[in-house]
Amino acid sequence: MATTNATITINSDITSSPLSISKNMVLKKFQSTDGIDETTGLQTKKFAATTAVAIIINTEGTAAKASKVYIRNTGSDSAEFFYVALNENAAAAAETETIGKLYAGDWMLFPWAATANVTHNITVAPSTTDAMTLEYMVFQE
Amino acid sequence: MATTTATVGISSTDLQPGNTLGISASTTLYQTGTTTGMDLVDYGVGKLTQASGADALQEALGTADTSNYVYICNTSTNKDQYMVIGIHDTVIGNLGSEEWLFIPWNMGDADAEINIEAEASGSITYEYAIFKSTYTLPAKT
Repeated sequence: MATTNATITINSDITSSPLSISKNMVLKKFQSTDGIDETTGLQTKKFAATTAVAIIINTEGTAAKASKVYIRNTGSDSAEFFYVALNENAAAAAETETIGKLYAGDWMLFPWAATANVTHNITVAPSTTDAMTLEYMVFQE
Repeated sequence: MATTTATVGISSTDLQPGNTLGISASTTLYQTGTTTGMDLVDYGVGKLTQASGADALQEALGTADTSNYVYICNTSTNKDQYMVIGIHDTVIGNLGSEEWLFIPWNMGDADAEINIEAEASGSITYEYAIFKSTYTLPAKT
């Protein structure tokens, strides 16, 4: 059993009283205190087209088991982004179901329900044909 | 203009034998496609019961296809209690006890609400923060 820690820190001065969030979690198996012990490792993929691409296939996970996904847009152009979606073939704005737009430098970490349904592939689509790079990693039991 | 930063650290000494894992990333949250900081936020604490079924944590009442970010933490310490997190009819994943998520959310269309559901029994306390580029309050009833 492995121990993997993930810590988030959010600081903001949006409100007149500064907002500060700091939380650690241990990545655990579903309804268990045991740590997740499988991973894809950190992967890097380069893009140069706006075509949607499934970067994580539903069959890589197991239904009713815990999976966590980390994705980061390594770019630096604030106008460029990746759509990230749970979708079989596209990741455009109103497709079912786009999660959001991952802009340059943005990262996301979320639990993933890796059901047998093909629409639970994780799909991305770059906003431009400029060279863009994603890092991503799956943690699973 | 406000400044909001979100930082993540993921570490493990035994998930990948012979290769210590150490991911560190930080991003500044900007309004859609700009370098202007976010200036809208909702944050707080809520309780969710299994009996209530799925509930909308946040309706997609801002401008569609924009830059927004969602943080949710399941503060339950009972390993059997988890939160099902979804966008409209699509389940993203199960957020276990003492786990958090951080995702971009583009409010792809008016139906793209963030919804949450408590499983498997009892009441779950959760914390959340939602940073938004735009937002319109719900109409009075």
